[in-house]
Amino acid sequence: MSFIEVEFLFFLPIVWMVHWLLPRRIGAQNAALLASSYLFFAAWHWKVLGLVIAGTIVDYLVGSYLGRTTGSKESATSRRIALATSLLFGLGALAFFKYEGFFASSINALLMSLGFSSSLPVLKLALPLGISFYTLQRVGYVLDVYWGRHPPARTFLDFAVFTSFFPQVTAGPISRASELLSQLQRPRHLTADLLARGAAAFLMGYVLKGWAGDSIGNDLVNPVFDRSTEFGVLAHWAGVGGYALQVFGDFAGYSLMAIGVGRLFGIELPVNFNFPFLSRSLPEFWRRWHITLNRWLFDYIFTPLTTSRGWFRGRIDTALLVTFLASGLWHGANWTFVLWGALHGLGMIVHRNWDEIYRGWCRRNRAWVQRRKSWWYAAFAWLVTIGFFVLTLVPFRSSNIGAATDFAARMFSSPGDALPPIGINVMLAVLVMIGYHLLETKHFAWCRERYFALPPFVRGLTYGAVIVFLMIKTPVASGTFIYQQF
Amino acid sequence: MQPSDIRRLVIDWLDDNYHFGEAEALIGDDEDKSFLRNGVLDSLGFVKLILHLEDACNVQIDRKDVSPANFDSLLKVVTYVSAQLTKART
Repeated sequence: MSFIEVEFLFFLPIVWMVHWLLPRRIGAQNAALLASSYLFFAAWHWKVLGLVIAGTIVDYLVGSYLGRTTGSKESATSRRIALATSLLFGLGALAFFKYEGFFASSINALLMSLGFSSSLPVLKLALPLGISFYTLQRVGYVLDVYWGRHPPARTFLDFAVFTSFFPQVTAGPISRASELLSQLQRPRHLTADLLARGAAAFLMGYVLKGWAGDSIGNDLVNPVFDRSTEFGVLAHWAGVGGYALQVFGDFAGYSLMAIGVGRLFGIELPVNFNFPFLSRSLPEFWRRWHITLNRWLFDYIFTPLTTSRGWFRGRIDTALLVTFLASGLWHGANWTFVLWGALHGLGMIVHRNWDEIYRGWCRRNRAWVQRRKSWWYAAFAWLVTIGFFVLTLVPFRSSNIGAATDFAARMFSSPGDALPPIGINVMLAVLVMIGYHLLETKHFAWCRERYFALPPFVRGLTYGAVIVFLMIKTPVASGTFIYQQF
Repeated sequence: MQPSDIRRLVIDWLDDNYHFGEAEALIGDDEDKSFLRNGVLDSLGFVKLILHLEDACNVQIDRKDVSPANFDSLLKVVTYVSAQLTKART
């Protein structure tokens, strides 16, 4: 069951009513959320529940023990053993289900190329729903408790909801304990403001995912990537550019829907996308795109590697490469994702070194500071940043390295049709994506402010019009979420 | 090293590496203004500031302390480093 499937249209109102009809006590509300969340998992496959519950029990027990022994020097070794047990269980399950096939087939291929015989079993396991997301959330919790940054969960029920809250379990946002667990430990109240903001976020998310992202994907991206040989150079550039918008619509849309559903239950989930296509540098892009994953990677991989007694203390470039390789591998068990991660790691290194050089110029001559604030520097920086991101989507979207190389070559030389037949729907969807970003800039902020200053019933009418539009243009269950498969 | 010296050290580092004479104006009167949310520092700069403080103040910053709770504003940095120096002396 996902947000865009018809079952969800029945599931959500029922669990929402049950949640708010129960007494306004933490225990009752959290019990309703836990039952709903486990039902959500079971709707995908009931066997997944065993893995979710086992991981929750292990991390709850480990977290409680670490919390009890914080600051105790005598139990340093047993604390490390407890932490290792939790990490081994959580990351081990992720490695087994997500990467067993990838590593086994890669090792088999490597050994065979060296003349050895190798037949490690390649298990074709189904990836349990949300495992990449809830594993990181649980690992973050255990590390925060281990480092004394957050107290352990007060009750098993609170922690179980924290690790399985159904709006975010499919594809994030990946919450910190300080963000979500703290909200689950106090009674929640439904306000008109929360309800309105929740419904608006859900509707905007549905527009981005259910209509805009899927329209661009179905009518432009899929034909070009699936039948690459039939299209010319322009179609390949349009295809990969369209894919950038499709992924954004798909994932930012999902995240907005998750945030919207969370608000309906009185819970504020963290923002996951902050208008990434306005970025003027790669680091800025990664602070705006899939924010909760990137801050996780930064907090739990990059910073520990580069500070204190970390393996790469002071070697920021090496740590950047390792962090982005981990990001690539997290996205999928395929060499295309490893390549994608490596490209972004290298991109970050190039940017960092360029930044160092430029700052050297600034120290010598303040005119360089002003040049950096000019419109032409901003325009050039934006073009390089977004252009680089779009180009790296070629391996991200391709099924294997060979297909990626072939597609990249066709971006420069390819006979064939200029473009697949594109309807008004795709053009409108692209305009909506651009408009969505432009409204965030200072030049167009007045449009947004004037809209939200309109009387509620006028805004209600516009929401109604959007819903009618979506009902006409978007069949329910028309697609799947790209990030759900990660 | 006094808190005022640590404050100066951070301002000078920000000026030398990121804001070229404008750091103090950017931070303004509210010295607890978030570095990350107000564009004073990005996440890479955050790590570089920590490495600089370790070298310049001769303190060992523990991994568990590396978080915005201790380094996300001028006030937080000065408070944290002062406490570490006091701890090292006693």
